[in-house]
Amino acid sequence: MSGNNMRQYAFFLGCIAPNRYPGIEAAAIKTSKKVGIELLPLKGASCCPAPGAFGSIDLNIWYAMAARNVVLAEQMNMDIALICNGCYKSIYEVNHKLKHNDELRDGVNEVLKEIDMEFKGTVDVWHLAELYYDPEIVGIKKLADSVTRPLTGAKIAVHYGCHLMKPKKERHFGNTENPMWIEELVAALGAEPVQYRNKMQCCGAGGGVRGYDLAHALDITNEKMINLQEVGADALTEVCPFCQLQYDRGQIEIQEKFGSTYGLPVLHYNELLGLAQGMNPDELALDLHAVDVEPFLKKIL
Amino acid sequence: MARSKNYQDPKLEEKLKDRKYYATDSNPDFLKEVEKIGQTIAHMCYQCGTCTGSCPSAPRSSYRIRLFMRKAVLGLEEEALTDPDLWLCTTCYSCTDRCPRDIAPTDVIMAMRNLAAKRDIVPRNFLQTVQLIYKSGHGVPNNDVNRAARVKLGLEAEPETTHKYPEYIPGIQKIIDHYELKAKADRLVAQGE
Ligand code: SF4
Ligand code: SF4
Repeated sequence: MSGNNMRQYAFFLGCIAPNRYPGIEAAAIKTSKKVGIELLPLKGASCCPAPGAFGSIDLNIWYAMAARNVVLAEQMNMDIALICNGCYKSIYEVNHKLKHNDELRDGVNEVLKEIDMEFKGTVDVWHLAELYYDPEIVGIKKLADSVTRPLTGAKIAVHYGCHLMKPKKERHFGNTENPMWIEELVAALGAEPVQYRNKMQCCGAGGGVRGYDLAHALDITNEKMINLQEVGADALTEVCPFCQLQYDRGQIEIQEKFGSTYGLPVLHYNELLGLAQGMNPDELALDLHAVDVEPFLKKIL
Repeated sequence: MARSKNYQDPKLEEKLKDRKYYATDSNPDFLKEVEKIGQTIAHMCYQCGTCTGSCPSAPRSSYRIRLFMRKAVLGLEEEALTDPDLWLCTTCYSCTDRCPRDIAPTDVIMAMRNLAAKRDIVPRNFLQTVQLIYKSGHGVPNNDVNRAARVKLGLEAEPETTHKYPEYIPGIQKIIDHYELKAKADRLVAQGE
């Protein structure tokens, strides 16, 4: 902890937030500061690496590459905070596995030795959303207190994604059939969280399927879009830039491939939090979103 | 039944092919390898089908996770590893959270993909991600439109990653080269062209 009572974390960026939706990165840094979390640069971090692509080819390389990112944080003597479910899968899970499996850790350290690194198992990995929810760290009340522009009147649906909470026995989030904690985070911003059919279904993009068979991936996304449309959501929120890409650019691709139009704005929770804390749309680069966010902004501004 | 019938019409031969399971088609080591790589008890599967019933890929394709589970148990390595459906799992882990036998079917798929990759069966998009990361550290690298947007946001044009500190890239390349994965990706991508 630093003198000003801020909790400090090494901020693991991943790829899609910094390189496609930089508003998420900017918002994460600014919004966290207002609730007592300081995100510090994790210099030289790389792709987590993509669990679908790397893990499918060789799990051992996936362990070693993810471990390198963890070691960078160990060298800072700081826990990692991150903003993407895919990154969570790699960084959290590999950190956890290597801490508890000597054989895996020794194998990884043999490779890391070639670049003068060693995995020691001295830090923990957190998704920023779970830090927001944790009353010991931030908690709903402090989050609600940071809101200066409540998102009153907006109906917001939540996409939890897969790799934050599942597989549940290797995580600590409990129930994965109908969780409600992100809805609580949404309600803290003054918005109305809405439920929809088959909420926990995957966005369709993972496991390399988006690249392997785009139509197949989009057909899964489209099923979710139909269920979201049914309940009249004004926006969809998530905590995974890769899911965001799949829903946001995916809606354009769905239009081209299947001829169905939804126009549902898709916002990362940190972008929502930014708006609720009074950030302007141009401080969030919302113009980079493929689906126009304007109708949602009209509702809340 | 004869395994080969030598019918004069090859189409009929294929249509009427003997589809029985022969012990000689089975590689018992396959199950062991899958369990070791996937770190899951695949042999406990009792074929209830909860996994397929939970699977977002099943209703829109011929992909059946339960079938892959059976092929693991029966040691049908060839059939499993050469089936293009192997690559339709989104790794959503719904099956894993619901399996009443506490198996991780998702990790069975991951293990089978690892074994397929050893035989050079890997879809192109997976290999291209490897090539991108080898070059820049990122599977989805920065671009000019994004750089301009970052600067407007008050961020630096390059994020605090290998993009801003390319001196970290050789370390990443060493890890990938340790497994000779870059050479393999280059070779297989070139073959596909
Ligand atoms: S849910 Fe589990 S036990 Fe049932 S078929 Fe699938 S893997 Fe086998
Ligand atoms: S993890 Fe794969 S096999 Fe299991 S339900 Fe999801 S897509 Fe289907």
